[in-house]
Amino acid sequence: MTQQDPRKIIVCRCENVTLEQVLRAIEEGFDSLELLKRKLRVGMGPCQGTACLLMIARILMQKTGKSFEEVFLPVNRPPIHPVKLKNFIGGSREG
Amino acid sequence: MKAEVVVVGAGVTGVLTSATLFEKGIHDIVLVEKNYPGSGGSFRCATGIRASFTSREHIEVMKRAIELWPAISAKYGIKYSRDGYLWILTRERDVEFFKEVVEFQNSRGVPTRMMGPSQVQELVPTMRTDKIIAAVHDPMAGKASCFEAVLNPLAVLRKQGITILSNTQAYKLIVENNVIKGVLTSKGIIHADQVLVAAGGESRDLLKTIGIDLPIRNIPKHVMVSETFKPIIKPLMIDWTTSSYILQLLHGNFYIGADIPEKHDVEASNRLEFLRRAARVWSTYFPWLREVYILRYWTGYYDMTPDHHPIIGPIKEVEELYVAAGFSGHGFMMAPAVAEALAEYMTGGKPVVREFENLNYERFVKGEVIKEIAVFG
Repeated sequence: MTQQDPRKIIVCRCENVTLEQVLRAIEEGFDSLELLKRKLRVGMGPCQGTACLLMIARILMQKTGKSFEEVFLPVNRPPIHPVKLKNFIGGSREG
Repeated sequence: MKAEVVVVGAGVTGVLTSATLFEKGIHDIVLVEKNYPGSGGSFRCATGIRASFTSREHIEVMKRAIELWPAISAKYGIKYSRDGYLWILTRERDVEFFKEVVEFQNSRGVPTRMMGPSQVQELVPTMRTDKIIAAVHDPMAGKASCFEAVLNPLAVLRKQGITILSNTQAYKLIVENNVIKGVLTSKGIIHADQVLVAAGGESRDLLKTIGIDLPIRNIPKHVMVSETFKPIIKPLMIDWTTSSYILQLLHGNFYIGADIPEKHDVEASNRLEFLRRAARVWSTYFPWLREVYILRYWTGYYDMTPDHHPIIGPIKEVEELYVAAGFSGHGFMMAPAVAEALAEYMTGGKPVVREFENLNYERFVKGEVIKEIAVFG
């Protein structure tokens, strides 16, 4: 993982966040997934973290020595996958 | 553990107050947070900032906050923009009411004004305005990044050596001879010379441990957020008829809230009724929203007091105990002014903005609650 330039490794593709940014944020004390999400917006794009959060959990474990259970406590918020707004409008019967 | 000041609650109020206290020379501060910083109302809120209220207290406090927001924005790198607020009116009877509101606000230096549908169209070009009969615009209102407003000052505090205890529950206040002595937490007792409780609705539970009953009740609120776009909708808009609102966050997401019937002090849960109402109201004004992807739906609470104004300042019954809670949905926007006022109280002074003194806890004991010309927003 550290063989390549961390500035060129994209960890979160939705929000374009590099490994370098993740490592620096952890060093600054943003040492939980919840804080990293709000600091870097990782996992907050259209994929809702399905692509990046497990990877970031692993980086957190390596950097902080915490266990998987300690770092991976995600809150899954509906609709999980993006849904177009029109699908919530409902039928005309309901007025 | 021992500290000069213990702050319970690392939301925007607790963090900004700690930062202001640090500047005033109080460096031995412990921040106690039951979950992670910002995890309560601060990170769930709509991020709107306005002084267009209907009580003298709210207006004066928010005017001070609007003066301070550019400074803390520059200092900590917090995105902040005066993009305005717009109240949309679709019923004749609301127009007369809002004329009174605007007159009151103008008399206190808040530059709101009534406008017609064509002016709304100019401000928000992609909106359908055919159902709108009038609107009220507040050009001084705006929005800020709630994540940066908590995390950036917190990073500075951490560098300055402030102790931040996350995942730490405050169980009980410790008082001897009517003087605060500390806080019992899940990580043990923290002795302190001063304690600030800024823990939202849970401030009530903590104050109850010393027999003080803050009149705060939680009401569930619902929000959904879309994928991001370039700036399309500038002002935060409130549809007065349906009590729902939309804004485009500074990051680019559309943030939509709508009121549905809720009970106080119940656990917030996701409801289809919210999604339907919010989607119907805003897809009528913005037909293109139908094709926009919704990413998340979450709930949170407004910590409501009987007069919809917060409880801020010292608790007379217990020396060196301070509270900032019950913001009733307006805590984020006023936080810089609240931090300033609390730091003044806690260093032996009085708030520069005199109206803060009216927001004391005693008003509920005496039955002298804050008066508004109308309850609004």
